[in-house]
Amino acid sequence: MLETRGLTKNFGGLRAINDINLTVTAGEILGIIGPNGAGKTTLFNLITGFLQPTGGEVLFEGKNIAGNKPHTIAELGVARTFQLDRIFHDFTVLQNVVVASRLHAGIGFWEAIFNTSGYRRKHVNTWDYALKILQFIGLDDKKDELARNLAHGHQKMLGMAIALAANPKLLLLDEPFAGMNPRELDAALELVRAIRAGGKSIMLIEHNMRAVMNVCDRIVVLNFGTEVARGSPEKVRQNTDVIQCYLGVGKRAA
Amino acid sequence: MDALLQSIVNGFVIGWIYVLVALGLTIVFSIMRIVQFAHGEIYMLGAFIVYYLSVVLGINVFIAFVIAAIVLGLVGIALERFFFRRFRGQVESSIIVAVGLILLLQTIVVVSFGSQDKWIPSVVTEIITVGNIRLPWERASAVLIGIILTLALFLFIQKTKSGQAMVAVAQDLEGAALQGINVDRISALSMAIGCALAAVAGALMGAIFTVSPSMGGFAMANGIAVIILGGLGSVAGAVIGGLILGFIAGIVPLYASTHVASIVGFVLIILILIIRPRGLLGRD
Amino acid sequence: MKSDRILRYLAPILLFILLPLFLQGNQYYLHIFIICGINVILASSLRAITTTGQVSLGHGGFMCIGAYTSAVLTMKFGFPVYGAFFMGGLVAIAVAAAIAYPITRVKTVYFAMLTLFLGIVIMLIALEWRDMTGGSYGILDIPPLGTISIPGLFTIDFSTKFPHCYFILFLALLILLFLYRIERSYLGMTLKSIAQDEFLAASIGTNVANFKAIIFCVGCFCAGLAGSFYAHYNSVLTPGTFDIFSSIYIIVHVIVGGGKKFSGAIIGALVLTVVPEIFRVVKEFQPFVFVGVLFLVIFFLPEGLAGLPERVRAEIKRISKGRAQNNA
Repeated sequence: MLETRGLTKNFGGLRAINDINLTVTAGEILGIIGPNGAGKTTLFNLITGFLQPTGGEVLFEGKNIAGNKPHTIAELGVARTFQLDRIFHDFTVLQNVVVASRLHAGIGFWEAIFNTSGYRRKHVNTWDYALKILQFIGLDDKKDELARNLAHGHQKMLGMAIALAANPKLLLLDEPFAGMNPRELDAALELVRAIRAGGKSIMLIEHNMRAVMNVCDRIVVLNFGTEVARGSPEKVRQNTDVIQCYLGVGKRAA
Repeated sequence: MDALLQSIVNGFVIGWIYVLVALGLTIVFSIMRIVQFAHGEIYMLGAFIVYYLSVVLGINVFIAFVIAAIVLGLVGIALERFFFRRFRGQVESSIIVAVGLILLLQTIVVVSFGSQDKWIPSVVTEIITVGNIRLPWERASAVLIGIILTLALFLFIQKTKSGQAMVAVAQDLEGAALQGINVDRISALSMAIGCALAAVAGALMGAIFTVSPSMGGFAMANGIAVIILGGLGSVAGAVIGGLILGFIAGIVPLYASTHVASIVGFVLIILILIIRPRGLLGRD
Repeated sequence: MKSDRILRYLAPILLFILLPLFLQGNQYYLHIFIICGINVILASSLRAITTTGQVSLGHGGFMCIGAYTSAVLTMKFGFPVYGAFFMGGLVAIAVAAAIAYPITRVKTVYFAMLTLFLGIVIMLIALEWRDMTGGSYGILDIPPLGTISIPGLFTIDFSTKFPHCYFILFLALLILLFLYRIERSYLGMTLKSIAQDEFLAASIGTNVANFKAIIFCVGCFCAGLAGSFYAHYNSVLTPGTFDIFSSIYIIVHVIVGGGKKFSGAIIGALVLTVVPEIFRVVKEFQPFVFVGVLFLVIFFLPEGLAGLPERVRAEIKRISKGRAQNNA
């Protein structure tokens, strides 16, 4: 589904991402972990077009998408959430998801202007579709709330709903479980599994080890922009290099 | 060749007046973070106050300058207190406030003085002549005043506690407040300095050219242009930007017209905004 | 209820259709009606641009382009009046399209300043290009919008103000309908999503650059048409009409009316055109009235005039709740 080859990113003299080669196979949940500053979000930005790679390729379904604009990549079927939750604050919860469903609906400019019957039909479909997504996420009871008034945890869920509404084949989640209590976490993990069950592939960045070990099929560990280890959760947990890079964080200042 | 040198000299003079306007503007913008579009009207009022004091009341021109600077500094403090502080951070509302003030001040002036152009008579009429280049003392003194004030401002910012406090507020409002800086007092001070500079610039412009109720708009546009070119918050940037635009305004009319000079200057600004919005030396 | 909404809009529209008939004798009132029409078009088209978060302070410049294009084509190149009229809009949108992509890439604050200078530059070009535009003397004796005649049925002769009222009303309604459809459809939603978070919008497949550029061009097209109309209505064009203030007044109309709602621009334009005229007897002090309205609105009604009904409702609710508590 997704493959990066020799992916590299420099910021001036700083090499933030160094020769990353990873794959996400269809239907799997891949976890990306590593200490702060390891380059995980940068990796996401490179894959989704928010940053241009300095070198290497990003192949989605065989095609190189590196260097494309974010909206093009979204159209191809890759959606993401953001580490600092992004939602449309002035819209209601339902409107947030509707706006994201536009991609799925494929509505044209002139039919919108002339309010054709075709447009009206797609319009209704889109709102139904958005409502279904909210039901799936569990936010449908809040559908007419202003997004800015939601609790933090619900805003996170809304972020996920927005990404889902774009009907991606591959979903990139950036720290989806951050700041959740155990109860919320279990519900969120169920949700992620349900998304995968619905036929989507998932790549997620997380610091919460319990979540990562629980839900990921495979894990890749990054530190200083380089891959440190990869494998099944069990294998990675016992890998001494991985343990070292987390323990060694305090000494990194030298 | 002589014409070119003459226009370079003219450009230099115009440039320093732009610098003064821009300095006042950059202080008001970067420290007070308000969109004070009415700054040009302060400049205009400076010219009118000096006109009124020196021509109508017969007060010595230099004293008139000082009075104008002080009066408008105080006016600025009042404006900030009663109009702009309320809308700090609200861009749309501060635009409305500024527009309202512009109309208010212009109308007051037109009603009081009429809309005809006025002149502030020259105190010194001697002209410096170097070869075929003529520089009236009046203009030379305008440049001198401009340079002196710029240096004074620079030293004030670098060397005094208040000046440093102004820099701190410009860079980080909350941080400065946490350090114990009285942000309101610094805002008032900044507004006073900014408006005083504008008043002097306006009076100088009025003395060299003419005094008219609509002179503020042009000054404002050029002031903003200088800040964009030189970079917001930078004194050196204001100087460089002002001189560059001044030279364009001085030299281009030699080959085309004053309108073309403005067009060239403003197109340059548009390009800067597209390519390098923070200007030559800006930080924000 | 949809039919409810249609009725709500139909009433004011009917009012405006009938109004010129009542104002017929008075040339001055007809003139105000027409100026209102022009300002409504300008304010609404500017508001459309602001739905993506971009504030254009050079809208008057595009009106200038439309006006001069139409006048020059008619007078120097012998274009038929209606062709030139439409060309005014086309040239305006062409200029907008030429620069749309580079300038809409720019951050909001810089975009505002950029368009401010753009408007100034356009006016300066009108001043300088004397061969085309007559420089500061302007263009005089621009022919009016000719005559529309359907043989046997009627003839409309544009030599008086009265037909101009209906022309501008018709034009305004057409433009408002178009802008309204954009606003209420998914297009409007997408535009507003861009204003709130460009990155998020891009991540869900919105081509942000396209949307920003296109709505900018659409807005400028409308301003161009308004300019074309103005040229033939006023029959005199001078560059001074299109100075910084012309652009700033348009944004003031939008802000005072309330940019969030579609009706805001309309209300702002109408109120700020009509109210100062009520006080025209004190001609010199007219600006004070304008300023008064401005300050009243920003101090007491920050969401703009369009927010008045909600405010009144909220105040009534507050007062009645207070009374209920007192009585309890």
